[in-house]
Amino acid sequence: MILKFWGVRGSIPSPGPNTVKYGGNTLCLELRLPDQERLIIFDAGSGIRELGDSLSADNGNKGCLNADIFLTHTHLDHILGLPFFAPIHNPGTRLKIYGPVTCEEDPLEEVIGGQLSYRYFPIRQHELGADIEYIDLMEGKYNLGRGITLIAKYLNHPLLALGYRVEYRDKVLCTAYDTEPFYNVFCTDTSDASFDEILASEGSRAAREENRRMEEFFKDADLLIHDGQYTQSEYENAKRGWGHSPIEYVVEAAKRAKVKRLAICHHDPLRTDCQLDELSQVYVNEEYAGGMKVFFAREGQEVEI
Amino acid sequence: MNHEFIHRERHLKRIQATIAGMPSLSTTVVKVLETCNDPRASANSLKQVISLDPVLTGRVLKLINSAYYALGKPITSLTRAIIMLGVNTVKNLALSFAILKNMQGNGTFHAFTTDEFWLHCLCVGVVAKSLAAFKGLMPAEQEEYFVAGLLHDLGKIPLNKQFAEEYYQVWESAGRKQDPFYHWEDRLLGIDHCKVGSMIAQKWHLGSSLVESLSHHHDPDECTEKNRDLVSVVSLANLIAIDLKIGTAGDRLVDKGLLVDLSAKVGVDYSKLSNFQESVGKEIDRAKIFLEIAQKG
Repeated sequence: MILKFWGVRGSIPSPGPNTVKYGGNTLCLELRLPDQERLIIFDAGSGIRELGDSLSADNGNKGCLNADIFLTHTHLDHILGLPFFAPIHNPGTRLKIYGPVTCEEDPLEEVIGGQLSYRYFPIRQHELGADIEYIDLMEGKYNLGRGITLIAKYLNHPLLALGYRVEYRDKVLCTAYDTEPFYNVFCTDTSDASFDEILASEGSRAAREENRRMEEFFKDADLLIHDGQYTQSEYENAKRGWGHSPIEYVVEAAKRAKVKRLAICHHDPLRTDCQLDELSQVYVNEEYAGGMKVFFAREGQEVEI
Repeated sequence: MNHEFIHRERHLKRIQATIAGMPSLSTTVVKVLETCNDPRASANSLKQVISLDPVLTGRVLKLINSAYYALGKPITSLTRAIIMLGVNTVKNLALSFAILKNMQGNGTFHAFTTDEFWLHCLCVGVVAKSLAAFKGLMPAEQEEYFVAGLLHDLGKIPLNKQFAEEYYQVWESAGRKQDPFYHWEDRLLGIDHCKVGSMIAQKWHLGSSLVESLSHHHDPDECTEKNRDLVSVVSLANLIAIDLKIGTAGDRLVDKGLLVDLSAKVGVDYSKLSNFQESVGKEIDRAKIFLEIAQKG
C-alpha cells in the first residue's frame, strides 16, 4: 500500500512562510493499493483540493474516477476541501462518502452537503456532476471487497469521530486523529464536596479500559497516523478536553502496541516548521522510541506500507 | 385493510414523530439548563442532573450507542457514556433538548402531573439500584439497574403527548375498574406504553437489556433468560414505588400477591421490603433539594 499525505495540519489551513516545509493544508490522506485501481481517501480537508487536481490531470479530465472517502468526523477542517475537489464536478465520477453520525442526528448528506448550498458556495449539491452516495458509519468491521478489511473505532473527541484500520495482504494502516487519551472526568479529590467514591473509581476504570481498547485497535500496525497536536506540557496546562493528543503519550502508547512506524500529524496551526524540526530532534530517534520509527508527517510525503 | 389497522397505523406514525423530538421533563429542565450553561459545571454535577431525567439519560445513551459498539454490548452506564462522550458533548446534547418551549402545551400530563411522573420514574430507578446492591451486584451493574428503572416508563411520554384526552380517560377507566393502567392504554389507544417503550429503546439503540426492561416490566416472565434478573428487579421496583406512593405514573393499586411472588423470584424477603423505604426516601429528598435549589437560584 502507498499512503500519501495531502494535508497534515489541524484546525484550520495555515499557509505562510512558517509552514512551507510541513505544509499548511488540513487533513487529507490518499491510499493506493497494489494491483488495484482502488482509491481510498481519508478526510476532505483543504489538502483534498490538490489531490483532486492531480487526479484530474492523471485522468485527463475523463471524469471516470471511483473513490471511497472516509471522513473521520465532520468538523470543518476535515470537510472544507470537498467543494474544491475537482472530480466532484465531473459527470461520471462516483464517490462513496462514509462518516460517523453527528449528535444533531442530521444525516451525513446534509452535514457535508450543507456546504454546497448557495450561501456558502456557488454550486449546489444537486448541480454536481459526480454521483455521490453518503453512508453513515459506526464502530465495526467492514468488508470493502477485494481482500480489504476496514475497522472503524470510536475516538475521544468533542464530536463523534472515528479512527480507521485498513488491513490488506498482511499489512495494516491505522489512523487515529482527532483524539486524545480517555481520562476520568469525574472528581477524584477526596476533600472536594462533590467527591463520589463510586463515580471516581468507575470513571477511572472506564477511561483505563477505553485506552486499552484504543491500543488494541492500532496493535501491530505497520503505519499508525496519530494525532500529536500538543506536547505533554501544552496539553496538561490548557488543552485537556480539546480532543487532541500529547506527543509523549502517543509515542508510549504506540510502543506498547508494537506499532512499527508512527506518523505524528494534525499539527497545531501555530506550530512553525522550526518548532516541528525541534520536536523531531527530541522524538525522532530510536533511543526515545524504542526501535519504533517515528516521524512528523509532511504534506506531499509518500510512505510505502 | 380494516379500520382498526388504519387507526393503529395512524397512531404509530404520531408516536414515532414524538419519539424523534421527545423533550426533557419540565421537572428537571431548569437545573439541566443551569448546569449545562455553566462552563465551570463539573462532570459530577452534570452526571447528577442527567441521571434525574429519564429522557436525557436515554438520549445520552442513544448518542454513544449510535457510534460505539464494544464487544457487541451497548453502553447502559451513564458514567461510561460521559467518559466516552466528554463533558462538553453531553452538555451540548442536553441543551439542544432542554428547550423550555417544548415543555409547554400538550406535553403536560393531565391524569397526573409531570412532577409526579418524574418522581415515580426516579423512585423506580433508586429502588432498582438498591435491589441490585442488595443482591451483591457491582457498582457498574447497579447503575444499569438504576438506568433501567429510571427509563422503564418512557413509553408513556409519547402516548400522553399525542393522545392527551384519551390518556386522561385511560387513567380514569383504570382507576374506576381497578385495572392495570397498561390494559386500558391498549383498550383505548390500541397500544400500550410497554410497546412504545420498546420502540424508543430500539430506535435509540439502547440494547436488549433496556429494550426488554421497557417492554416487559409488567410481564418479566416473557423476557429472555439473559435479561430476566434485570427485568424482574425493575418490575419489582415498579410495584414497590407504587406501593410506597412516591409519585405516580397511572397505576394506583398494587397486587400484593404479585409483589410477594416477584420478591421471592428476585430473592428478596417480602417482609424486609419496608427497609428500603427510608433509604429510598432519603435519596429522593436529595434529588428534590438539588432541583429546588436550582429552581430558586
